[in-house]
Amino acid sequence: MKSKDILSSLFWMLVGAGVCYGGYDLELGTLHDPGSGFIFFWVGIIMVGLSLSIFIQALGMREKGEGLKSIWSEVQWKKIVFVTLALFLYAYAFSTLGFIICTVILLIFLFKAVEPQKWSVAIMGAVLSTLTAYLVFQLWLGSQLPKGFLNIG
Amino acid sequence: MDLLNYLSIGFSVALQPANLFYCFAGVFIGTLIGVLPGIGPVGAMSLLLPMTFKATPEAAIIMLAGIYYGAMYGGSTTSILVNIPGEAASVVTCLDGYQMARQGRAGPALGIAAFGSFIAGTIAIIGLMLLAPPLSQFALKFGPPEYFTLMVLGLTILIYLAHGSMPKALLMACFGIVLGLIGLDSINARPRLTFEKLELMDGVGLVPIVMGLFGISEVLLNIEQVIRREVFTTKIKGLLPTAKDWMDSKGALARGSLIGFFLGILPGGGAVISSFISYAVEKRLSKHPERFGKGAIEGVAGPEAANNAGAGGAFIPLMTLGIPPNVVMAMLMGAFMIHGVQPGPLMMKQNPGLFWGVITSMYIGNIMLLILNLPLIGMWVQVLKVPYKILFPLILLFCLIGAYSVNNSVFDVYIMILFGIVGYMMKKFDYEGAPLVLAFVLGPLMENNLRKSLIMSQGDFSIFFTRPLAAVSLFIALFLLVSPFIPGLGKKRREIPKEEIS
Repeated sequence: MKSKDILSSLFWMLVGAGVCYGGYDLELGTLHDPGSGFIFFWVGIIMVGLSLSIFIQALGMREKGEGLKSIWSEVQWKKIVFVTLALFLYAYAFSTLGFIICTVILLIFLFKAVEPQKWSVAIMGAVLSTLTAYLVFQLWLGSQLPKGFLNIG
Repeated sequence: MDLLNYLSIGFSVALQPANLFYCFAGVFIGTLIGVLPGIGPVGAMSLLLPMTFKATPEAAIIMLAGIYYGAMYGGSTTSILVNIPGEAASVVTCLDGYQMARQGRAGPALGIAAFGSFIAGTIAIIGLMLLAPPLSQFALKFGPPEYFTLMVLGLTILIYLAHGSMPKALLMACFGIVLGLIGLDSINARPRLTFEKLELMDGVGLVPIVMGLFGISEVLLNIEQVIRREVFTTKIKGLLPTAKDWMDSKGALARGSLIGFFLGILPGGGAVISSFISYAVEKRLSKHPERFGKGAIEGVAGPEAANNAGAGGAFIPLMTLGIPPNVVMAMLMGAFMIHGVQPGPLMMKQNPGLFWGVITSMYIGNIMLLILNLPLIGMWVQVLKVPYKILFPLILLFCLIGAYSVNNSVFDVYIMILFGIVGYMMKKFDYEGAPLVLAFVLGPLMENNLRKSLIMSQGDFSIFFTRPLAAVSLFIALFLLVSPFIPGLGKKRREIPKEEIS
């Protein structure tokens, strides 16, 4: 609890200071006519104040258990990293490769990476899910999903 | 007479075939996500929002509202059969519902949950019908100071009810306000915190933020550990509660409906908190409190009635004042705006078809839910058996397509993934997402009303203290903010159960 709160409060203090500076930079205006940065500035100040109070409270606490380590104990790290990376790569390649190719690859990866399925299940699941999503979103609902350089879809 | 007139307008809208279809789709999907752990009504509503773009505003809101109250029905099934709540409002149903199932009384437990939900849902709709028109009339007298202070009060109550540290909840609300204000200044069109990104000129979208915080982050949390669920395999028989069950439950149903409805109206209240309070009340009033936790049917009937009535009551502040009282309603407000409708006191006059159509669709939706939840219980039990390793790629796929479809923008997909990581870290470090989302929606409205108030008063802050309603709202908000530091009251706050929307 203690180290968790110290770390997170320092992070939010920085964010608050940034917001405060952003507000100041945008012009505060006057009380008669508040400017674009008025709210940002004061909300930023409140954020810094709140982070400071969390920080001070945390300093007075006793560390329970393993502190920061307890957050990550028994966590299957690889799965989290793989899935997050896969999502970013999907977004990156989405326009270039197009919806169908990108989605089939992503789903095969997800079916295999987290709790590995048989290849046949992964491929069939990925293809069927992609086609169903394509039918629903592109054909029925008229979404404009990207076709990619191969112009598929 | 007026009311009958309004009802006929409402039914003429709600009974149109397309609206009936959307209502059915909403309650069906709501029950489904209520049954499936790992995705709540907020996530589901944001996922399905793009699906409503081609529909009329009436159909869209009818479907999204159906998801919300449908999830309240579905959530009880997992609580009773698996001892895992499908969503937060059904947490307390686990206590006695699962025990009833273990004693071979899963049928009556599911039955009373469904009937209780139906009765409470209907009571809430009648309350909504009776209270909404006078409240809308009253709200027409509100000016910017009243709106600003009411929003401050709503946000403060949500923060007060948030589980855990109040400074952390406040911090999240501040962060939500900042995010909500990114984009062009509504008064002078000046870009604010856009970092010269063209995509940020219109602000950050609600859908990618909600999907990230409540969809992606939930998946990340679920896959980091191995999940094991055991469905209670007893054959479910005799869904109709016996005469004794009804006698035991009738008081709990009535009290649960009233508690749920009135707590639902309050900002920050809603389905979750009402179910916990109803359980506590039933236990206190019972002649045999020792039966609670060991399969008392009142322990299922009361909370289930309360969470459904709470879901109905929460529509009042949104539809009459234009102020969402909780995250689900904030999401619904976003949907109203996307469809070009401004919820608030004028909605009843400007869009009577939409206003009364949504209300009357809830009657129809409640009947559909009764049919879906009782005869088709076997189907939902089968759904419960779908393994998470199959489910999570599909949830991620829906999130990705949903975030993209709102503006056909890959930038929104990046925002969603980013907020998925932010939401995951927030949960790890004990920060809540609910105040952030509500503040995100209220932020621009709050800023607008604050600036208008200050312009009106020529920079004099006393405008917030000299107008009675504004002064009372601010006083209550202030009291709630300092109450944790008052000995005794602070302890009481910590005893309030967890308000987690997703």
